[in-house]
Amino acid sequence: MTPLASIASAVLSVTPWRLERRLEVDARRAALTRIGGAVGAMIVVGILLLLTGRNAFWIFWQALDAIFGRQRGIEGVALRGIPILMTALGVALSLRMKVWNIGSDGQFLMGALAAVGVGIHMDGPGWLVLILMAVAATVAGAAWILVPALARAYWDVNEIITTLLLNFVALQLVTWSALGFWRDKEAAVIQSTREVPFTLPGLPGANSVTIALLVPLVIAAVLWWVFRSTTIGYEIDIIGGNPRAAGFAGIAVRRRILIVMLFTGAIAGLGGMLQLSAPGAQAMNAGFSAQFGLSGFIVAALAGASFWGVIGGGLFIASMFYAGIVLQTKGLSVYIIFAIYGVILTGIALGEIAARYRVVRRDAADESEATAGEAAAARKGADS
Amino acid sequence: MILAIIENAFLSLIGSAIPASAVVMLAATGAMLGERVGVLNLGQEGLIGIGAVYSVIAVLSWGVESPWLAMLIGMIAAAVAGLIFAVCVVAFRASQVLVGLALALGGIGLSNQLGVNRNGTPIQTLFREVNPGGVLDNNDAVSAFFFHDPVVYIAYVGLPVVLYFVLFRTRHGMNMKAVGENPAAADAVGVSVTGWRIFYSVLGAALTGAGGAYMVLSFTPTWSPDIARGRGWVALAVVIFAGWRPGWAVAGALLYGSMISLDTTAQARGWGLPFMGASDLSFFLSMLPYVVTLVAILIPAGAVKLGRRVRSTAAPAALAIPYSREER
Repeated sequence: MTPLASIASAVLSVTPWRLERRLEVDARRAALTRIGGAVGAMIVVGILLLLTGRNAFWIFWQALDAIFGRQRGIEGVALRGIPILMTALGVALSLRMKVWNIGSDGQFLMGALAAVGVGIHMDGPGWLVLILMAVAATVAGAAWILVPALARAYWDVNEIITTLLLNFVALQLVTWSALGFWRDKEAAVIQSTREVPFTLPGLPGANSVTIALLVPLVIAAVLWWVFRSTTIGYEIDIIGGNPRAAGFAGIAVRRRILIVMLFTGAIAGLGGMLQLSAPGAQAMNAGFSAQFGLSGFIVAALAGASFWGVIGGGLFIASMFYAGIVLQTKGLSVYIIFAIYGVILTGIALGEIAARYRVVRRDAADESEATAGEAAAARKGADS
Repeated sequence: MILAIIENAFLSLIGSAIPASAVVMLAATGAMLGERVGVLNLGQEGLIGIGAVYSVIAVLSWGVESPWLAMLIGMIAAAVAGLIFAVCVVAFRASQVLVGLALALGGIGLSNQLGVNRNGTPIQTLFREVNPGGVLDNNDAVSAFFFHDPVVYIAYVGLPVVLYFVLFRTRHGMNMKAVGENPAAADAVGVSVTGWRIFYSVLGAALTGAGGAYMVLSFTPTWSPDIARGRGWVALAVVIFAGWRPGWAVAGALLYGSMISLDTTAQARGWGLPFMGASDLSFFLSMLPYVVTLVAILIPAGAVKLGRRVRSTAAPAALAIPYSREER
């Protein structure tokens, strides 16, 4: 037992209840405790804000008003939601296999960079250029994760650091394109690439949101179907549960890892193109990705690799993100958002653990004691 | 003649690489300490920020006049953050990856927020370089290795030697490795896995914080947002490159540092190539440290796969796996 569980048990020992490990953690309860952890973390953040002399209630109210008070707010959330949802879907897919793709920011940037390259160098009908931009972005995103994916699949090199290091390379490359080889030479002040002359058609009734918003929804639906009804989805879940067992069952584990990682990169890369094809965002500069990859990572962690959860969590984090931008004009710095992200992520991680325990009455608990060892052994296999 | 030029260029590169990656060296040693007992702390980037910003606060707001004391304050702040991390992952057994990333994000956000009013204020309380006066002068060939701050010698010589001795020559080190490789066995002989893991991850966090403090007290020497600029991640990569051996971390850190100083030297002297102008070359060179670091991680794994025997470069077996007595 961990020390904290021991303390909890000691406190409970004077009552007729005791703390017990669950034999199995079902997905719905785990999702609830993760959300609980995130909400708890936000309460902690609120208390910290209050303690440092900021009026947390006022900030919260301002954020709600900024988002839901007018159409611009809702569209603002949707606009931020697109890149966050795309990177989150990529990460969620990799999490199915217990692979951590932390480089979705880099893949997102490379996708957008490839799309800019196609967009500013090609003449032709707009729809054709946009399709080619999407193809280029998808390929570029997958290419950007190729080396980490090969290293992970065939050389067992931990993918966390390798994918992350490439984020820095991608950022430098984007800076180079914006200040160097694709720089818009007519706009002397603005340091960005030339502008792509095409945008995706808008959604009916919206001012700035394009049909790009539908893409993450479609991808989520496809992924959900793949993991519900197809063999490959099932195999990926088995690899996520226990790669050794998957290997014994005749699944080509290494090739699956490679393919799934390439797909996660491709989704993030396509996200870059979608971001680029929104009106007003048709050029790239060093600030093109406002750490969308990290936001997407938090969404995936919150959703626990459930694709519909990603949609819900993504819109939640996108609202926070948008609120952060609005609050910046009201004297809150953008850095606070990252500090808050950190606290929320910790809350999610702790919530994940809380799902494994339950409080039971003493006499009921004793019977299940005998099987606890077996279940623990099974879970240990799944962890490694 | 040509040999002399190459030798000179190499020495000047090393001479500026040593201070440039002292931060990486300290953070890599800190990360290695935690990882040797099985705790993977991905939050190095945040810890560097926290260590740096509290040293800056100590000097600018609290009027601390000794760089050592300012560094100690930075280390304590990072240790507190490390303690929160350790309690979450060791005692609560939360996911080390998630909480580590949370620490990276939160640490960057917190330090940037705290430093927001101190951007660009020069720091006057600096470490002074060790001057082997009389024996050497600044133009000697070997001077690349001298005329640095005392912290540099602690980072590159003191810590690796001490860590090597403790890990491979003492019973204490044997127990450390046991906690990282086979916690159940360590537990069975009465080593408190929880206690050791918390202690060494806090100590490691303090060392990483010292790295951040060194940045603002000697290297930059001023606060700027996102002060770590990826050095925390590079440090984690250096640990992998080094195969969790303290001495090899020196090589990894210097490799990264020489790439950094190559970039700054090229910028300062306006170097260009026939097919690449000076500014394009500088953009290219600023990607290089991360690319080289990435390749460096692949080397040990690749060497093993391609059949070259490499001595003990595997990660501690229980790295990032929470231990609980009831589950072994």
